[in-house]
Amino acid sequence: MKLPLHPRSIAFRLIVAVLAVELASALVVVFLSYGYERHSHFRSFDVMLHGRVDSILGAVQDADDPEKNVMLVQADLHFPPDDIYEVYDAKGRLLGRSPNWQGASPNLPASDHGHHLQLDVNGRSYRLLRFQGSRTIDVAEPGGGKLRQFTILYGAPTEHVWEAILGSVEFYAAGSLLLLLVTGPLIAWLLHRGLLPLRQLASLASQVSVDSWQFSPPASAHLTPELAPLTLAIESVLQRLEQSFTQQKTFVSDAAHELKTAVAVIKSTLQLLGMKRRTIAEYQAGLERCLADSLRLEEIVVKMLTLAREENAAAAAGPRPASDLTECLDSAVAQLETFAALRGVKVEVAIAFSDVSLVPLPPEDCSLLFSNLILNALQHSPAETLVEIRLAQKGGHAELRIQDHGDGIDPAALPHVFDRFYRGDPARSRNTGGTGLGLAICKAIAEKAGGAIEIASQPDPDLPGQGTTVTVRLPLAREAEASQPQPVLPSA
Amino acid sequence: MRVLLVEDEVRLADNLAAALRDGPGFAVDWAEDGQVGDDCACNRCYDLIILDLMLPKLDGLSVLKRLRGRHDVTPVLILTAKDGADSIVQLLNAGADDYLAKPFDLGELIARAKALIRRGKGAAHPTLSVGSLEVNTLEQTVRRAGVLVELSPTEYHILEYLMHRPRVIVSKRELLEHLYDYNWEHHSNVIEAHVSNLRKKLDGTLPEPAPVIETMRGRGYRLALEITGEPLL
Repeated sequence: MKLPLHPRSIAFRLIVAVLAVELASALVVVFLSYGYERHSHFRSFDVMLHGRVDSILGAVQDADDPEKNVMLVQADLHFPPDDIYEVYDAKGRLLGRSPNWQGASPNLPASDHGHHLQLDVNGRSYRLLRFQGSRTIDVAEPGGGKLRQFTILYGAPTEHVWEAILGSVEFYAAGSLLLLLVTGPLIAWLLHRGLLPLRQLASLASQVSVDSWQFSPPASAHLTPELAPLTLAIESVLQRLEQSFTQQKTFVSDAAHELKTAVAVIKSTLQLLGMKRRTIAEYQAGLERCLADSLRLEEIVVKMLTLAREENAAAAAGPRPASDLTECLDSAVAQLETFAALRGVKVEVAIAFSDVSLVPLPPEDCSLLFSNLILNALQHSPAETLVEIRLAQKGGHAELRIQDHGDGIDPAALPHVFDRFYRGDPARSRNTGGTGLGLAICKAIAEKAGGAIEIASQPDPDLPGQGTTVTVRLPLAREAEASQPQPVLPSA
Repeated sequence: MRVLLVEDEVRLADNLAAALRDGPGFAVDWAEDGQVGDDCACNRCYDLIILDLMLPKLDGLSVLKRLRGRHDVTPVLILTAKDGADSIVQLLNAGADDYLAKPFDLGELIARAKALIRRGKGAAHPTLSVGSLEVNTLEQTVRRAGVLVELSPTEYHILEYLMHRPRVIVSKRELLEHLYDYNWEHHSNVIEAHVSNLRKKLDGTLPEPAPVIETMRGRGYRLALEITGEPLL
């Protein structure tokens, strides 16, 4: 098993954090155990000292001398050889002392805490108990004996106690250290296992490429709260990317098809001319065809570039563009007046806007949108019919309706009319020389402005002239926003 | 020979049809979308179908699949603007015989069209010979026993068609179908006149001619020459 222990890896950082916490806990445990052990060991040590002092007290007896003195019967005492003791009576007379001790100095200070004191004897550290007690000696005598005061000093070396305390502390410290050493690799292993879903996800994500968009995360990735947002994000990003890639691919492929076909037309026209000797009139006709075909090729290229520009238009910096709907509509209608007259189609415009109506579009795009739609309507209108154009305000939107009275659009073709290079009826495109890009450009422009475009048509063979209605909705730009680029200077 | 051209780009279709009529003298029918193309192909009177891939209503691949689904063995030449080996492999596997990528060379298209028609009739070489008769389909010349015979275009086309089917009875209707496109009025007596002229011209070169074309009353015509050797394969 290979553990990923790069210094910046999450696993490494987590392991270090856990080990640091463990180390801190170990230190606290050692410290606490030291305090506890010291307290409990010295407590039993003191109990032991008290017991010894009681024994000494029991060994004090009547000396049977005329002064009614008392004496210490040392033969009764069996203490560890290292222990030391002294016994004084109330007058300060030494009654007895352990043989291995010269005695404490007479002015031995009373220890602060109770009657314990520390003393160095023969280079060893001792803990002494000073006991001031009283005892009734010779209870059997007439008069009930006499109560006597004594002072007893008893000490024992503390080194064993310290050894025991340190031994315990060492045990705790060693245990903690061992635990640390064992848990370190264990945590690393557990983390490695725990992070497995993440690695799986990463490996799956890394397999995604331009050619293979397949990303199927395991079901567990969706169920793991930490991974679910990441998985969803990857999935949606991939989906959008794939979509746009497919769109681009389709566009390039469609564009290649259109351009190659257009070139094929020109090439075949020229080759056909060269196949045999022809009259001057035939050559002239051929040249005219070539020129017309070249113009069509040029038109395709221009429209393709327009479409690419409109579709890829990012939110441009600087002041937001705005154009006056009414102006744009008027200019588009004026531009197409001749064409309409040529086709014998009447154009009727009704504008229901009282004030200035601005939409967030550059004026040239707005005019292009309108002229494309009106041209489309004119092209599909038979002579002696009417194209109705209505511009009205609906809430915060401007709504433009263009209705023709042509044959309408086949329901099967209707969903595709905004597709690039789609020509619903090839016969129609033959007559009008359409590129199949006009409506796609309109849609791109409307969507760039945050609006929408839709087309409705219900062709009825029994009732011709129902026509087609195109509806464009464009959000109205707010006045303040649109008119701000021109600050009004205070007049001097 | 009669060719079906399925191509939605009207200018290109015009040029191709003109080139095929002017060059090898084929009769050309034009279909503007896949649906019409499929309907036309159902008549089974074509010696070649030239099929564009991107078509309205029914795309070229579907037309091809329907055609082969009907066990129609007419040679199919695909015109494609698509790149990539995948689509070409797919096309050939679907039963296409050849393909040309747009923009193509008109001369190459005509040469491929001729080759496909030839192959479709079982001949590999552009020169067809039956007995003492030799037809060069490239130059569109006819020799009988080495002597050049001058023929009108229609006479030549009738002879070429018969040469592809030696010793088989070919009906007037079949000749009409394969030599004239959709726009011509079909009159079988036109064929009779042409065959009569053709027979005269072919037999006129020899002092003691054996009849080249037999008339099978009510059934059609047959190239009557003995096949001395296999046609050049």
